[in-house]
Amino acid sequence: MLNITGNKKIYLTIPAILVIISIVSLIFVGFNLDTDFAGGMAVTYKIESKFTTEDVTKTVADVLGKAPTSVQASGDEVVVKFGYDNNLKTDAEKSDYALGKLEEISKALNEKYGSVVETNKDVISPSTGKELASNALWMSILSVILILIYITFRFEFVSGVVAVLCLAHDVLLLCGIYSILNISIDVNFIAAVLTVLGYSINNTIVIFDRIRENTRHAKKQTYAEIANNSVNQTLFRSLNTTITTLLTIGMVYIMGVTSIKAFAMPIIIGILVGTYSSIFVAGSIWSMWRDSAVKAKKN
Amino acid sequence: MSRSIIKFAAMILVIALLSFVALYGLDLSDKFHMPGILDPDGVIQGLDLKGGSVIVYEAQVENPTEEQMNTVSSMLRTRLDSMGYPEATITKQGEKKVRIEIPSMSNPEMAADSLGATAQLQFVDYEGNVIITGNEVKTAAAEYGPTDSMGASSHYVSLEFTDEGAQKFSEATGRIAGLPQGQNFIAIVMDDTAISMPMVQTQINDTACIITGDFTSEAATNLAANIKSGQLPFTLEQVELRSVSATLGETALKTSLIAGLIGFILVMLFMLLIYRLMGLVADIALLLYVALTGILLATLHINLTLPGIAGIILAIGMAVDANVVIFERIKEELKLGKTVRAAVDAGFNRALTAVIDSNITTIIAAVILLWLGTGTIKGFGTTLLIGVVLSMISAIFVTKFLLKQMIGMNVKNLWFYGIKKAKEEVK
Repeated sequence: MLNITGNKKIYLTIPAILVIISIVSLIFVGFNLDTDFAGGMAVTYKIESKFTTEDVTKTVADVLGKAPTSVQASGDEVVVKFGYDNNLKTDAEKSDYALGKLEEISKALNEKYGSVVETNKDVISPSTGKELASNALWMSILSVILILIYITFRFEFVSGVVAVLCLAHDVLLLCGIYSILNISIDVNFIAAVLTVLGYSINNTIVIFDRIRENTRHAKKQTYAEIANNSVNQTLFRSLNTTITTLLTIGMVYIMGVTSIKAFAMPIIIGILVGTYSSIFVAGSIWSMWRDSAVKAKKN
Repeated sequence: MSRSIIKFAAMILVIALLSFVALYGLDLSDKFHMPGILDPDGVIQGLDLKGGSVIVYEAQVENPTEEQMNTVSSMLRTRLDSMGYPEATITKQGEKKVRIEIPSMSNPEMAADSLGATAQLQFVDYEGNVIITGNEVKTAAAEYGPTDSMGASSHYVSLEFTDEGAQKFSEATGRIAGLPQGQNFIAIVMDDTAISMPMVQTQINDTACIITGDFTSEAATNLAANIKSGQLPFTLEQVELRSVSATLGETALKTSLIAGLIGFILVMLFMLLIYRLMGLVADIALLLYVALTGILLATLHINLTLPGIAGIILAIGMAVDANVVIFERIKEELKLGKTVRAAVDAGFNRALTAVIDSNITTIIAAVILLWLGTGTIKGFGTTLLIGVVLSMISAIFVTKFLLKQMIGMNVKNLWFYGIKKAKEEVK
């Protein structure tokens, strides 16, 4: 049996440090925003002949007169992304600029590599990106509020707050990892974060459900003991569920095309950190809160 | 015991039938047709799967009214139809945006310019006085044929005026024909661009006229479509333009389906390995979940996107969660020394609240994605919601039903329920 509440100093300190690092990185480094958010152009080319990422980057940079936002190759496909010229004011000018440059880039690549086919193309105005970001924030806040209300209604306010703390931990770590590793985030990242919000809380709820049940039966135990028992009783279930979910979403990551990989990765990270917070954080914080309330009553 | 076997077999048969319906649909005589996922009219593939273009326009006014936005949508519809894209979809996005999805077109730039044109058609004289506007045009059509005295054929647009328009046109041509050389022309202007400037030699008493220019067949069609659909209430600005080639979409679909299949098999094997006979029951329920999802996708004509497929596959992993919760509980009850029948009952009853509570939070997130998300995110929210709800139903009711029949068949050896050796573990 794992002694989770007994070793809470270690189990809580590690995530606390990681969360702080994540917040620092999010404040000072921020996100590497993809064209979905920042606005700009993303185009995928299929190049039949041999090419290197460096060469493509150089060709694109020559046309743009500056380095592109990113050039990523996978197999015979290469995704080129670039932003707008900052001197341009209206969305129409920016869109014209992007389409004009795109044509030049396609021409330059065709001259260099022969048969080059455009397979995917996104032109996004900066205002769209801003709207998307604020929309994402509202969706997340609304989800958290509704989940908090639901848990308070079904369990108690303390459980609701602890569950939301765990969610904050999961999402902050997920965002922190993307910020620190400088992985670009696109529109699907939002869907991934919301999935993590809804799903990683499952384990926490199953544990709280057990705590709710055990509290009814056990009168002489401390809350720390109840929490520890409950986490251990549900441990196999927590791990098994995580494994089955990882089996499917992991296959999507391994087999999928570039865009779906970018969607599967944050979900995988979210499920992993979510499992940690459910097992090692939720019960401990809940019991600390309840036990301190008991002590306060006695004094 | 025999009744249990019959019930068990009946459920398997039902699931097999549902799986068949999910794949091939159901046709009862001529009156009832239900498409399956393999039918062409079944699942609607999103643009990211079959290729196509997305164009998002934004109204260039503050707070357009809903009526204005509806007008814009219906005009865009007319334009799309007459440009040859009847399968395109138009959806409002937020308060001032319109999203157009055109399948199987991977070069949207030209269509985008023409679609979003204000379509303000004016006939003006040399001083810039407006003679006729697009409102006085009854119909417009793109045609091909000889347009000049030399007999050379070209693409042109023919117009038919309303009575009022014909009246004005007649008056104006009479006046302009009398003007000196260099002033005796009418400029046909579309959205501030002069398309053609025919000379006027005599008064024209006709209800029809043609616009010539250096038109390609496509340009003439687009122009006629825009004149016919009328004038937009405000300028539209294109803020998003995306296109996916059909080949990329095909690869994406194929790899996702293979990933889903492998994931599905792995989950089934995992359940079988850990929970043995109960795992088998969960696997049967999982098959039902996949079949039901297929039926729902095909009959509701849900627009399936790439993240949408990921949602379904993810839900396969989540689907067994309810069973894992229940089975772990049953194992615990068995270890306490309860009979199999009592343990199964207690396991289901005690695990039910945990299953429902944990699924509802995922449902909350899925509903928000479906409600507030746009484009592919909405697609993901839809399938995630379907997945969670269906999996909960199949995991709770179907598994319980099958397990009860299993007990009825006198399967009481604890090994079948995932417990190593009955004696050692029962405390």
